[in-house]
Amino acid sequence: MELFLSQILNGLAIGQVYALIALGFSLVFGVANIINFAQGALFMLGAFIAYSAIAWFELPLVAAAAVSVVIVAILGLLLERIALRPLIGAPYIAPFLSTLAISTIIDQSAEIIWSPESQPFPAALSNTTFFIGNAYITLTDLVIFAFGAAATVALTLFISFTWTGRALRATAQDSAAAAQLGIRTEAMRQIAFGLAGALGALSGILVALYFQSVFPQMGIPFGLKGFAAALLGGLASIPGAVVGGLLLGIGETLASAYVGDSYRDAIAFTLLLLMLLVKPNGLLGSKRLDALGGAGAAAGAMPTTSLLASSSSQQTAIRAVYLPAWGFLVVGIAFATVPLVLTSTYVLQALIYGFIFALLAVSTSLVSGSVGILSIGHAAFFGVGAYAVGILARPYGLSADATLLVAIALTALVAVVAAIPLLRLTGHTAALGTLAIGQIGFLVFLNWVSVTRGPMGILNIPHPVLEILGGARFATTAQKYWLVLGFVVIGLVIAERYVSSPIGRVWRAIREDRLAAQASGLPVKRYILLAFAISGALAGLAGGLFAYVQQVVSPESFTVETSILVLTMAVLGGLGNFTGAAVSGFALAILPEFLRGFAEWRMIIYGLLLLAALRVRPQGLLGAR
Amino acid sequence: MAVQGIVVENVSRVFGGLKAVDGVSLTLARGETVAIVGPNGAGKSTLVQLISGVDRADSGSIHVDGVRTDRLSSDRIARLGVGRSFQTSRVFPALTVWDSVLVGVQPGLIERPSGRLIDPVTESLGALLGLGFWRRRVKAQEAAAEAALKLFGDRLWPRRDQPALSLSYANRRRLEIARLLAAEPRYLLLDEPSAGMNPTETEELTHLILDLRRTHPQTGILVIEHKLSMVRRIADRVVVLNQGRVLIEDKPDHALDHPEVVEAYLGKPRTGASFQDAHHG
Repeated sequence: MELFLSQILNGLAIGQVYALIALGFSLVFGVANIINFAQGALFMLGAFIAYSAIAWFELPLVAAAAVSVVIVAILGLLLERIALRPLIGAPYIAPFLSTLAISTIIDQSAEIIWSPESQPFPAALSNTTFFIGNAYITLTDLVIFAFGAAATVALTLFISFTWTGRALRATAQDSAAAAQLGIRTEAMRQIAFGLAGALGALSGILVALYFQSVFPQMGIPFGLKGFAAALLGGLASIPGAVVGGLLLGIGETLASAYVGDSYRDAIAFTLLLLMLLVKPNGLLGSKRLDALGGAGAAAGAMPTTSLLASSSSQQTAIRAVYLPAWGFLVVGIAFATVPLVLTSTYVLQALIYGFIFALLAVSTSLVSGSVGILSIGHAAFFGVGAYAVGILARPYGLSADATLLVAIALTALVAVVAAIPLLRLTGHTAALGTLAIGQIGFLVFLNWVSVTRGPMGILNIPHPVLEILGGARFATTAQKYWLVLGFVVIGLVIAERYVSSPIGRVWRAIREDRLAAQASGLPVKRYILLAFAISGALAGLAGGLFAYVQQVVSPESFTVETSILVLTMAVLGGLGNFTGAAVSGFALAILPEFLRGFAEWRMIIYGLLLLAALRVRPQGLLGAR
Repeated sequence: MAVQGIVVENVSRVFGGLKAVDGVSLTLARGETVAIVGPNGAGKSTLVQLISGVDRADSGSIHVDGVRTDRLSSDRIARLGVGRSFQTSRVFPALTVWDSVLVGVQPGLIERPSGRLIDPVTESLGALLGLGFWRRRVKAQEAAAEAALKLFGDRLWPRRDQPALSLSYANRRRLEIARLLAAEPRYLLLDEPSAGMNPTETEELTHLILDLRRTHPQTGILVIEHKLSMVRRIADRVVVLNQGRVLIEDKPDHALDHPEVVEAYLGKPRTGASFQDAHHG
């Protein structure tokens, strides 16, 4: 019982932090109708800037916190100015992807500046513990709770009683009408982003105090949990964000106490998914969510749920350029001759990764582009396939036919199950659901040690043997090159056949207008699940091949970075355009091989590419289909 | 023998405290055209949402040819032969005109005569391998789609490779109706089909519906329409809704000239002249 009470108190403290992050999401969403994916990055920067002010300039904690809050607030303003304002009138998905790109750039820059390792955050407060009855609470918890609560109250007062607060609320209600009344809505957007930055920084510092460490990868999990909290509360409501944050904090603290600390995050993300499943509009309910992303255009002059539609209802019509299914076969045959001419293991190896990522990018493009459920979690499916091969190949001595078949079938199954909570979602919320799926996948790979061997990974995966080819063994790089190329071409041909068939037409119809598709008599859910099954099968095949090529499977191959990378490939190629996805997947995967020495700049380059593409050609290089 | 037609019995739908539809009963037999008229907020569109399964009734029952449908999903209801259009046309903007109509015939492609759906594996194999039986089904559906597009003369057919978003407002309406007709529905629910159309286009639409009545004598048509001059020409019966209730149900001339109807529309009775178009959309 004491433990239980202590956990509740502890949960209230961390929950207050989630509430602050959630408030950052809610403010920006309320005023600008954007889910700011970079909120987590601002949060991380807040923690690191305070850390540097203390560790490098020896400022006292309060001064360091103040400096950090000011700097991050300014960065929040810049974020709006650089990444979002130019995209007004762009496709609905563009601002979301833009903040995703910014977040990638900030996270990677932090790894370069502060190293990827976690740094100890100085414990500024004594380890005093207070007892309430038999339950205990530390001074740090109390301070965190007090600061968080004070910030929440201050924000509420500001929003409720000041002129600026009223103008913010007016802009949130109806930006066009507010502008008509003389409110400078652009300035309001800026204020919202500035405040979100300040809240992000403050929550980052509080988390640093709570865990007494800072690490560059902290942005995404905490950002996602803050979003989960905001969603719990209905996303556009301040009391909702606070209630959501506290509930999430308590839930996850209890879970980590009674189930195990390594499941803390997995449980938080599972909660998020469950929430999306049962009450996608949040506990306090907000119809505003319906207006998000795709569905935003559903009320317009030309109703659509497409992510590529924009508020002007006009999609820039770029004629998509793509190969027919047999075209992939021809290109594949051409590539098959390469090892006859080139013997460099290094080049062949790079090309192999190019093929695998071409397939993975097509798999992502299928759900993100054809069906319109943006996937930021494909690394999880990729990982399931890889682990299936890794686990089965040596101990069970299975041939590659068998292991790959299991990888394909298992991943398809996992993808279908993962898609169930996403069925009712469109636009940004669906994207965040896939992000949660990706995170859960990674955490399972990392923590289910008895099966995946955890951070160690699975080593010494044997060379593939194909029974179907009379037990042929693929041991040399050239042999593996042909094996991978063969399977990838088969996968691409099947994918292209699908998307060019009536089934692909139905997928696009669902993307364009889910309601109309269903009212036309189409079993929409069934087609979405079919898309996830096919996409999962392709990702599983890519993962299985990856395992055979690497001969090692470990969790760090399947992080959210990988998911963002393959999504970037799919967007750059033109969403739903498999030729585009394959080309950009291939190109972006072999690019770093020629940029050796710049390895740590890789994600920054991808982020910049994505930003540039959104500005210049949101339909992708070869045109969305 | 099951009762034929769409039978709506005592159906209500409440939004918060507002009774949008309040105990409405009506029937639509095959072959007849019924118009629903009424002032804004009378519950006309909500009624279509309920019949088509896009929204759920709070109480009451709806049967289509004897099958109870008020708890079925909208796709099931559509496959029972109920096609509906939307107040703002919904045309799958990025799809070409041709693809957009083919979406309408797709349910017929995957439905067995028994009404059950072909399983996804068979569907995949058929679609991927282009097997004979599948190709024959596709050909038949494509013929239906082509015929539906050609109903509109040279309005849609020459534009079949253009994306739907490039169409004019009136053509989007036509495309939506073509998509419905391609599926050969037994019942058509049209939600303000002439909204946003100019007089010439409205005239054309009136002729289209009259032609439909001739070419598809077995199709029941339920149409929500503000242009009463059009209603008088196409409808066998008129149901007047006001504040969620059926005010009157009668032949067009009787219903539309009824004093209570005039009052519901205009607020106070006018003597002598019957009124014409209450709303020019």
